[in-house]
Amino acid sequence: MNEESKVEHRWGMAIDLDRCTGCQACVAACHAENNLPLSDPESAAKGRAVHWIRVDRYYEGEFPNLRVKYMPVLCQQCDEAPCEPVCPVYATYKNPEGLNVQVYNRCVGTRYCANNCPYSVRFFNWFDPVWPAPLDLQQNPDVSIRMAGVMEKCTFCIQRIKRAEGDAREDGRTLADGDIQPACVQSCPAEAMIFGDLNDSESKVSRLAGSGRSTRLLEELGTQPKVFYLQRAK
Amino acid sequence: MAAAPELISYQQVRGDLWRPLSGAGPRYLAVVTLLSAVVLWGGIAWAYQLHAGIGVAGIRRPVFWAFYIVNFVFWIGISHAGTLISAILRLTDANWRKPVTRAAEAITVFALMIGGMFPIIHLGRAWVFYWLIPYPNSRLLWPNFRSPLLWDLTAISTYLIGSTIYLFLPLIPDIAQLSEHATGWRRHFYRALSLGWTGSDREWRSLERAMKLMAGIILAVAVSVHTVVAWDFSMSIAPMWHSSIFGPYFVVGAIFSGIAALLLVMSIIRKTMHLEKYLTPHHFDNLGKLLLLMSLLWLYFTIAENLTAWYGNDPSEMNVFGSRIRGHFSPYFWIMVLFNFVIPFVFLGIRRLRTVRTTTFASITVLIGMWLERYLIIVPTLSMPRLAAAWGHYSPTWVEISITAATFATMALLYLFFAKLFPVVSVWEFEPHSNKEA
Amino acid sequence: MEKEATIHALREMKANGFGADRLDVFSQEPVDLPRGLLERPARMSFASVAGAVIFCLLAIGFVYFTQYNYPLVTGGMPLFSFWATGVVFYELAMLGAILTTFFWFLRESGLPRRRRLAVPVVPPGAICLRVRCGPEQQDDAARSLRLAGAVNVRELEEKP
Repeated sequence: MNEESKVEHRWGMAIDLDRCTGCQACVAACHAENNLPLSDPESAAKGRAVHWIRVDRYYEGEFPNLRVKYMPVLCQQCDEAPCEPVCPVYATYKNPEGLNVQVYNRCVGTRYCANNCPYSVRFFNWFDPVWPAPLDLQQNPDVSIRMAGVMEKCTFCIQRIKRAEGDAREDGRTLADGDIQPACVQSCPAEAMIFGDLNDSESKVSRLAGSGRSTRLLEELGTQPKVFYLQRAK
Repeated sequence: MAAAPELISYQQVRGDLWRPLSGAGPRYLAVVTLLSAVVLWGGIAWAYQLHAGIGVAGIRRPVFWAFYIVNFVFWIGISHAGTLISAILRLTDANWRKPVTRAAEAITVFALMIGGMFPIIHLGRAWVFYWLIPYPNSRLLWPNFRSPLLWDLTAISTYLIGSTIYLFLPLIPDIAQLSEHATGWRRHFYRALSLGWTGSDREWRSLERAMKLMAGIILAVAVSVHTVVAWDFSMSIAPMWHSSIFGPYFVVGAIFSGIAALLLVMSIIRKTMHLEKYLTPHHFDNLGKLLLLMSLLWLYFTIAENLTAWYGNDPSEMNVFGSRIRGHFSPYFWIMVLFNFVIPFVFLGIRRLRTVRTTTFASITVLIGMWLERYLIIVPTLSMPRLAAAWGHYSPTWVEISITAATFATMALLYLFFAKLFPVVSVWEFEPHSNKEA
Repeated sequence: MEKEATIHALREMKANGFGADRLDVFSQEPVDLPRGLLERPARMSFASVAGAVIFCLLAIGFVYFTQYNYPLVTGGMPLFSFWATGVVFYELAMLGAILTTFFWFLRESGLPRRRRLAVPVVPPGAICLRVRCGPEQQDDAARSLRLAGAVNVRELEEKP
């Protein structure tokens, strides 16, 4: 029976900054999974590189008491996203599962949403993407290729979410915690990233989000992000 | 103090103001050719951008809006020339404005047409720009009226329709008079355009009533248009954009740059069309005083905005503030202050220095300064978003520069064509045998 | 000078029984006649305001009903938000005022028209007073005009 279709999910993520080593495996995995356009050092210097998840480095203190903090920043899937009301064609909105979705074929490319995102997690396709051989053989068929002039950003690997939900519905079971892992979560060697259903109070991400180590980025702006950063309180 | 304009006979008025309409000298043709070449080059640049992708422009993450939006705001600002002169001065019965109104209204219409192109040029997928327009479609999609860009669309469309009508209405009596004296294709053209105007008192009354009403309506629309353009920025939460002062600030800046544009255009047509008797030093004196007033208002708003940001000491805002005052953008900022305030204050504030030549010079510096002001509002904020990892610097490419240059050439070209078809100083409003104070 | 003579002539004509609807003053510039001399009903301001109000209501209705008819996923935001879309209503109201004023002007002035009625070509600076009357009143009218100081009196046939 369709147990799965009765459940309402609200996807969230927890990232443990005390475990993150800054290895950027999540960045590479996201590139591979989501058919991200390539860039070279020259275009990256011109600000054209696309990294749906990036690792920000923060230095604290002076040598020899230097500490580096690594912070993977991806689309925070805000509940009160500032990018949504300003799109003139409604190309970005919050879907019933709480994900902030970007509709590629509706986007006309005004780039207002990118200006309004305080986390700077939105990326624009300045040109049509080109993958030189043999990279053109490793694209993910589940993810569409974006053309020039279209905005894109992290989707919490919505293709994996949809695949898992579909499988669960067919099998007549509900999704268990840990059934879905976006590419970044799957690839993290330190297991610093946890993904799950915030509506499920027993899920790991809900427990971590409610823990004493949990903070959110730029929380004072009232965007209600669903990515929780765990760090020991100072 | 410039003298009041002299009295001129009817025949001479018509002779002087209609002479430019006949024939095109070699100098005119040379200028038109040069401007057309610039416009053509801009068109090529845009076609290249459409073909290769908008990446050929210098815009980048995080500066997603740059030259094109700067130009957009700049040209919409210029369009406030006609509003101030025609509407405010008409409403207050300031008769000295009469020779100047049509030139101002023409600037408004052309500036709006040019400014309105930029929201299309800056789109990533410009060929589907019409998706912003609400029309029934089989995909059951609808635009988002919540977005300030949709407000822009309605506001600018309304203003464009309004100012075209506002330009056309007082043109009708002049066209009717021209049609009596014209020959060939022009006669048919003017006849059709004059709608059969006969000059009866019924028509005059109606026209004057309509003009009075339109002056008030256009004023209301113009204030709202530039406020809406300002709200593109202040409705965003980017640092130093989310400021309630932007609405009035932009309106003041628009009127400021509008008067400057008008002064420059007046200076040019005065020289090239020998209209010294119609656009007198008295006009330049009055407009110069208005320009000075707007300069002081602009300074007030600039100080208010920067002082509150600095005093508030919000870290994200202070980064942007610092880059403008002391950092990467400081040369542009201080040039802007020099051009927008110091030079106008000196040349327009000291009465002995306020001549036609210095007023024109001040208006050129104001135009440059106001363009820089738009640049300094948009680019520094976007260069330094809240998360420092995303900071980046913008520099324009040949595509953006070409298109910018092409818009200035387009404005000049449209004006040249206009001046050849219609008298640029309103003939029926000019009163030769006037006993009133001009 | 011409203006004084015209005003005098108009008063004469009205005294002789010619109504304001038969009198027309032609000139290449607007002539400032004293109030009440040639009364023309003016409802343009009213029309303008009415146009603004109607367009505003139409705009509100348009936005409201289309946003419900094309219900896009707004993710928690209300389908119709008055204040978030208020600017659009204001602008369209102004557009209504503009278009109403323009078309009322065309209606009130009778433009566009083909020049069917006998219309004089007035030289600049001159004022022409046209009196429409039947053939029996023609001589009276002509005499009154000359007495009032008309420089040139012409009689024209009105073509049907």
